Amino acid sequence: MTSKIINMADKMKDAEDRLLESLFESAPIADDGFSVRVVRKIRRRLWLRRLALPVAVAVGGAFAIKPLAALVTLVVGLSGLLPQEALLSASHFLPKLQYIVLGAMLLGAGLLGLGALED
Amino acid sequence: MDQSEDHQLVARVVSAQDTAAFGELIRRHQSHVRNFLRKLTGDYAVADDLAQDCFLHAWDKLDTFSGSGSFIGWLLKVAYTTFLQAKRKSKRYAEILEQAGHATDTESAGQEARPDEVTDLDRFLAVLTEEERAIMVMSYACGLSHREIGEATSLPVGTVKSVIFRGKEKIRTSFDIKDHQHG
Repeated sequence: MTSKIINMADKMKDAEDRLLESLFESAPIADDGFSVRVVRKIRRRLWLRRLALPVAVAVGGAFAIKPLAALVTLVVGLSGLLPQEALLSASHFLPKLQYIVLGAMLLGAGLLGLGALED
Repeated sequence: MDQSEDHQLVARVVSAQDTAAFGELIRRHQSHVRNFLRKLTGDYAVADDLAQDCFLHAWDKLDTFSGSGSFIGWLLKVAYTTFLQAKRKSKRYAEILEQAGHATDTESAGQEARPDEVTDLDRFLAVLTEEERAIMVMSYACGLSHREIGEATSLPVGTVKSVIFRGKEKIRTSFDIKDHQHG
């Protein structure tokens, strides 16, 4: 008797679950370009993130150029206070300014090129 | 849907930021996610916007997918979180849900929407709270197991079961299921 009740309860539960499943059931939604739109957004965001650092460096550099120049002038002025022999030996080991600028430009171009290649 | 293929695609995305692999993941699961959000919001346009946000969040958080459960379970968790965040942010949601006939938690259940747009499912969903609605949709529309729903909603399996039971009870008491079954 008890098992009959349990079986009936199970059957009722199954029927109810089936009914709910059929009610909640809906036809698959066609993609209709949805995935393409999302991927395009993601690529745009990636591209913007990669561009953000070089742009920030360029903008920061533009703002920093004037105080930097003033600092260089100050350092050059101070160098007159140092003994000439020490200056000569130090300049022997330091790269020239044009090499530093060229190196920075090559590094920047390389980073941008790598970013473009990844895209 | 093959879970191992999902996991392979996820690995490609995480290791190489492969947008094509992520596109394939979207193609495979967009229907479930959009369906889930459509049933939750009752508004197709809003649901599709949320689905886009959901996939963008998924892209950002994909490295947190452990691979122990199904990818769709994890994705629906992101979708549900996206829905809750958007709802918190926007008052417009309350208006939309109201218009669609879905009662919000703070409002009285069973508000009537325009009769020409209300389906049986809308009427059933309207008597449920938001949490019950999400769990019932995950269970009956998306076919997630109780464990997967628990992971998606951060609730214990026992709570998921009792929410489903309560949801069914509400539907049963609010509507005559037998009458409905026989037309």
